[in-house]
Amino acid sequence: MRAVIAEDSVLLREGIARLLTDAGMEVVARVGDGQALLTAIEQYRPDVSIVDVRMPPHFLDEGLRAAIEARRRVPGSRIVVLSQYVEERYATELIASGADGVGYLLKDRVADVNDFLAAVRQVAGGGTVLDSEVVAQLVARRRRGDRLESLTDREREVLALMAEGRSNAAIAERLFVSEGTVEKHVTSIFGKLGLPATEANHRRVLAVLTYLRE
Amino acid sequence: MTMATPRPTPTLDDVALVIANYSRRLRTAEPWNAGAFIVVNAVIGFAWFCLLIVLLIAGGALSIILIGLPMLWATMRLWVKGARWERERLHRVFGIEILPPHRVTQASSWRGGIKARVTDLAVWRDLSYLLLLFPVGLLELSVVTLAAFLPVALILSPTYFWLGGIDIYGWNIESMLEALFASLIGVVLLPLALALFVGVARAHVEFARWMLGPSSGALQERVDVLTKSRAGVMEAMLGERRRIERDLHDGAQQRIVALAMDLGMAKEKLDSDPVVARQLVESAHDEAKRVLVELRELVRGIHPAVLTDRGLDAAISAVAGRSPVPVTVNVRLKERLPEPVEATAYFVVVEALANVAKHSRATRAKVTVTRHKDRLSVEVQDDGAGGANPILGTGLTGLGERLAALDGRLTVISPANGGTVVRADLPCGP
Repeated sequence: MRAVIAEDSVLLREGIARLLTDAGMEVVARVGDGQALLTAIEQYRPDVSIVDVRMPPHFLDEGLRAAIEARRRVPGSRIVVLSQYVEERYATELIASGADGVGYLLKDRVADVNDFLAAVRQVAGGGTVLDSEVVAQLVARRRRGDRLESLTDREREVLALMAEGRSNAAIAERLFVSEGTVEKHVTSIFGKLGLPATEANHRRVLAVLTYLRE
Repeated sequence: MTMATPRPTPTLDDVALVIANYSRRLRTAEPWNAGAFIVVNAVIGFAWFCLLIVLLIAGGALSIILIGLPMLWATMRLWVKGARWERERLHRVFGIEILPPHRVTQASSWRGGIKARVTDLAVWRDLSYLLLLFPVGLLELSVVTLAAFLPVALILSPTYFWLGGIDIYGWNIESMLEALFASLIGVVLLPLALALFVGVARAHVEFARWMLGPSSGALQERVDVLTKSRAGVMEAMLGERRRIERDLHDGAQQRIVALAMDLGMAKEKLDSDPVVARQLVESAHDEAKRVLVELRELVRGIHPAVLTDRGLDAAISAVAGRSPVPVTVNVRLKERLPEPVEATAYFVVVEALANVAKHSRATRAKVTVTRHKDRLSVEVQDDGAGGANPILGTGLTGLGERLAALDGRLTVISPANGGTVVRADLPCGP
């Protein structure tokens, strides 16, 4: 698997590169700003890019803008955006460029090497991964006076885990219940929210997000 | 100083020049503007005088049965507004700027707001000005009318003489020569009369400046307010720095020490006791993640990146999203505001929502941000227990000081068992 890393902090860039290389991926380009990221994606057509939100010149959201631009220029680009903070607004903007092959994670998540690698692989495979904090914000924001209120606490937990891109099996493991139970919750959630039940993981995320964003 | 030169005999050109000068002096717009201004003064003065006297008497009489009090309050607002129109009129006619001298109120309740208004000397000066506008305007108008009438009468005296004997201000004109002489005096006096128009108008402007502008007492009061709010801001800033220092010291720094210790011990035990070393590394890893969370929260508390990037709506939505009490957010702004305004509004919401979560026992809260002309209003409302006291809540006091520095104000309405409304109101530029 070939990856591009866009991160202006050398320490972190090399750290992530080492982490990916150790996991058997090939880091084809390491860049430090949005413009260079666009060039690298156009040149190397990587399987996935890891992009920091804040980069030169203004240290605002250059990474996010570059990611959205890259997906416009090279459709199907798979990008994991890392940020010191996750905000629902950025997630919404990123997803608006199409939710296939998009990830939006707190930078902290790099510390949990295996979870991070799993997320990168999932995005590279066309999936969607959102940080649990973003999902929490989305769910919290939508908690007032609408159909989400009809969900039980457990179902809300399951919904949040679904939005993070987890499979039923992963959710079952996380909540210490059987997969069958999770399936029952999922069916009930889809029913209550009026979403068509589908198989593929990222489709489920999409469906959930579409609903949450309304 | 110019050298005295022998006076040449006037030529025809000189006479033409004098006439041209003279007619130019009559044709400049200034005296006529001044005259119009004086007439309008008297008319507006008359209107205000009648209106205010009627409203004040009616309000005073009706206050026995209480309806009068809100009526008097409305009358007060009306005359304050009227004085503002007068300032604007003076600005339009003469281009002079009279700064409104009213006190910037820091009241935290409606009762305090009324008290602040009623005790503000500037409000009463506004009233005096509007009431005096009638007699003063009448006086000005009479002076100006007489001044205009005299030269005109003198100029026309040959005509009167033709029609029969005439007496102008006690001067009995008996011959045609005398009449022509009177006419000449009239011609000389006419520009002086016009200059008097301008003089009277200028005097009125000074009068208005004195009545409607900041008195030295008001300026002193303003200086006191600014001094106090500046000291408050400094205090709040230092307090904030102390808090950050304490948070870093007690939190992140301690955790990193523990983390370094764990790693150091793990390094020692790597060969001798790999099982323990592994446990130590795991604990260091957990510690590191906790430090990250803590630092993130701390940095966000200093200044949230999303506020800079996306503005109030996005930033407030994010805060609302993290609140344990469900929050409805309604931010109605078309454009971005100056950074200090956005930051202050944001921290009002953060602090108010933190209080909602900590003290209110509310089940839901609502954040509304609206802009009305050049003022921004931020309101956080909850359905909790109420009884919040802005004097006890140090967080709110700090916010009050921040707002005061921007000439804003903080209002807390929190009756027992009636929910709490925290409202910040601040100027947000044109």
